[in-house]
Amino acid sequence: MASVSATFVSFGCSFNQTKCITAGKNCTISLGMRNHTLTAVRFPRLRVSCLAKPETVTKVMEIVKKQLALNDDVPLKPESKFSELGADSLDTVEIVMNMEEEFGITVEEDNSQNITTVQEAAELIDKLVAAKPEQPASESEQKSEATA
Amino acid sequence: MLRLFRIRRDMLGSAVSRRLYTTCSPLPPTPLPHRREVHLWYIQPEEINDSSSQLKHYMDLLSPSEKRDVSSLSGERLQKNAILARTLTRTTLSRYCDGRVDPGSIKFRKGLYGKPEIMWQDGDNIIKPPLQFNLSHTSSLIACAVALETPIGIDVEEKKRQTVKSVLAVARRYFTVSEVEYLAAIPYPDIQRKEFIQLWTLKEAYVKAIGRGFSGAPFKNFTIVMGSDKRAPKMHIEADSDCEGLADNCQFALMELDSSHVVAVCMERDQEISDDEKNSLRLKVWRTIPLIEDELVSGTETVNYICGLS
Repeated sequence: MASVSATFVSFGCSFNQTKCITAGKNCTISLGMRNHTLTAVRFPRLRVSCLAKPETVTKVMEIVKKQLALNDDVPLKPESKFSELGADSLDTVEIVMNMEEEFGITVEEDNSQNITTVQEAAELIDKLVAAKPEQPASESEQKSEATA
Repeated sequence: MLRLFRIRRDMLGSAVSRRLYTTCSPLPPTPLPHRREVHLWYIQPEEINDSSSQLKHYMDLLSPSEKRDVSSLSGERLQKNAILARTLTRTTLSRYCDGRVDPGSIKFRKGLYGKPEIMWQDGDNIIKPPLQFNLSHTSSLIACAVALETPIGIDVEEKKRQTVKSVLAVARRYFTVSEVEYLAAIPYPDIQRKEFIQLWTLKEAYVKAIGRGFSGAPFKNFTIVMGSDKRAPKMHIEADSDCEGLADNCQFALMELDSSHVVAVCMERDQEISDDEKNSLRLKVWRTIPLIEDELVSGTETVNYICGLS
């Protein structure tokens, strides 16, 4: 999903996997896509966030929507900040607890400052799920994809 | 008298709003807090009309980056409360500058863990009072605590705040063992929830006073023990705490505001005064509509001391 928010260009360019190519502000880049090639283009400040699985992002949005009792007309996006949605500290800890239960992970408190948006929460979840002990990363990814 | 003033303002509507806007009364100067004194100023957002020119005037006090932050919030209510929060901070601090510092001109910076601090400029008419402040809000109350020199933290919570999960579940995840035991031993759910809210606000006030916030000082690292008979809650650092440099010399106070909110305040203890009696916190509380009216409410039934205050 594109949003004009940062000075880097990052672009998902593979089919099944999330992979990002980042480039500096306003520089020319050329991207290779699967079976396609883009010619060099110059981008304004664009950021396409792509590091978390879409199903994780969706699940986090569900958790946030339920915790904050958001109406359907409230715009909820991956880049939505919890604080901008009206979450206070108690809401945030409950959101984190729900995420921990849903995904079977533990979020250390010093990580909580890194999860200010839906996207950041989803990225951390994917990282923690992948790092779960006694399970090779690829196997646990397959399992969570199977149950998604 | 106060009520009459308010009714007249409402009746005259926009004409009065315009007059107030253009002839905005400067903030009456307030003497600095004493050494063990906390000044608390609060706004109740419902007292300010959503689309009033007063709100637009408040917006003019904000810095460009504060205005951007306001615009990024979802919905009018959040935006209004954010404007009021910034307005409360700026107008409160300028009260202590003898009328010589314009609220809109105050600059802020963030401490190591992100706690907002005043950054007095050389041009601030040489008035640079060593003020410490902290802000907290719910959807229905915004509060700013001010102290002289000593770092301060405040947290407010609606008295009847519900959690989606049970309070014991949240406590087990985030509180210390002894705090969980304390809460679990309370047989009545309503009282248990009330005690949870009190512990939560006290712990928040502490991590905000020391400038670390929730992520910089996880709650499992320190225990707060509620006092009895209006005695101040006490705090100790857990033996297995892995958080370095936590202050263990803080003082706490708890009160109920307007029968609707629990307010916890935390301030570092004065090392030079060993007498507990002299070391307890004194409090002054004002309800305010900035630039319109101020009402001293401490000493009235609006402020109900729970513990830790003289």
